[in-house]
Amino acid sequence: MRREAAAIRREWLGHLLSTRPADRPAAEAAISELYLLIGLDPPRFHWVSSPAAALLTVPPRRRLRATEVLERLDEWPVPARLSRLLGELRGKVDRRMRENLRFRARRLLDTLIQQEISVSLARSFDAVARTQIRAAYLFPPWRFPSWYGMLCVSHMAYYDALRRMTGMAFGPWEERVLDPWTTVNRSCILWWPRTDTCTVSERPVAMHTEVWGDEGEVRLHHADGPAVRYADGWDVHAWHGTSVPSWVIDDPSVERIAREENVEIRRCAIERVGWAEYIDRAGLRLVASAPDPGNPGAELRLYDMRGNTRVLLAVNGSAERDGHRRRYGLTVPGHFSDPIAAAGWTYGLSAEQYSQLVRRT
Amino acid sequence: MTVTLESLTTRTGLAVLDHLERQVAIPVVDGLQAQGDLIVIPRHIIDSSISLRPDAVWGDVPPHGVELVRGVAGGHSHTLVADPGTCRWTTGVRDSAWLAIGMFEATAPVYLLHPEHGASGCAPGVYVVRRQREREGPRARLVAD
Repeated sequence: MRREAAAIRREWLGHLLSTRPADRPAAEAAISELYLLIGLDPPRFHWVSSPAAALLTVPPRRRLRATEVLERLDEWPVPARLSRLLGELRGKVDRRMRENLRFRARRLLDTLIQQEISVSLARSFDAVARTQIRAAYLFPPWRFPSWYGMLCVSHMAYYDALRRMTGMAFGPWEERVLDPWTTVNRSCILWWPRTDTCTVSERPVAMHTEVWGDEGEVRLHHADGPAVRYADGWDVHAWHGTSVPSWVIDDPSVERIAREENVEIRRCAIERVGWAEYIDRAGLRLVASAPDPGNPGAELRLYDMRGNTRVLLAVNGSAERDGHRRRYGLTVPGHFSDPIAAAGWTYGLSAEQYSQLVRRT
Repeated sequence: MTVTLESLTTRTGLAVLDHLERQVAIPVVDGLQAQGDLIVIPRHIIDSSISLRPDAVWGDVPPHGVELVRGVAGGHSHTLVADPGTCRWTTGVRDSAWLAIGMFEATAPVYLLHPEHGASGCAPGVYVVRRQREREGPRARLVAD
């Protein structure tokens, strides 16, 4: 069962990460069908080359009302009605499940599908799609439009998994909603439905991710260029899931790192350079060094950084494949002058406690 | 019987990177041991910072082990491995440093296994497992290797 769930998850993750051109005829037909389901005529379509282009361009021959700008997406009527449609679908399917499956089976299945598929895909969607939306629009986090949650592939993946794992049949109305919504998810990712026009973004032409979660969740990461790139040149750079300015990846110079105010971005840039290399290039002052307890031959070196921060350069307890031992930096509060005390702090221990370390691997 | 990385991976089915020395006996010690971003601390050393939550649930460590921390980006986990009936484990721990992920009690040697870091052997006793933190601006963040 778990293997089947993982296979379904991979399939839907594939739709989320796809870099094929959007299937425009399929997307348009399916979105039109969804408009019909909420009692509206099919919209005209305005295809844009990237999420950023959706913000910068308006549908041709159309003047937007003040409430129709993307920043006020949550006030638009169509997204609200489509969200309600998705809610009704959920209600109907829940009822059908209660009628068809015994309590225990329902609970087991729900837990499995939620854990292995829905939650995992929702996290991947957040890390991949939301990061792009944020890069394009700069929302304050507490005002992230709820419509984007509706675009998440986890909803249709859930129903797909129910169908495939239980053989449960849906009713005609449910199929009428599931079918076009599934098609949209498979054909494109981001779309913005206004009353009579619908803006749809093309897919990116390149996307680089890494697996980071327990259940196959992915996040954006690319050390040698943009993590996401669209045909019109708009791109997003990311370091292990954190969206960063392009210089962090392309030119993480010591001067730029020094100018950066945001600690998280600064850390990403330093990690991109490598801690040992950065300390060298930035000429950080060595405060003190000491043998690393439990790690024979290795030294802990404490350096002064800007602000009220110091960095402890430590040596890995186990060797890499090529036999060398990786060095890594840990930032610690600036009041430490003893490397042992600083190392202890990273584990919530005193210098005296940490010095009892017997073995590090 | 001498426990090596070889015998541990055979027993649990967990893999380690192939450049690690597989035939060497794993030292079993009763003191502090660090394994990458995790540290195993004999409870008595930090007794004043640690308490069990009243609702703490203990579970036996199964033959295939308990995954203490799932690693990020590549999924390297720290797994606690013990012979059946020799080790129990709980996450119901309060820690004044907010770093403990749990506590285990072993009546025979148990092992902490990681694909990159190899294995650490713990002598019978009670241990607290803590994660590592670093400073980021005014806050602390957990380290993940």
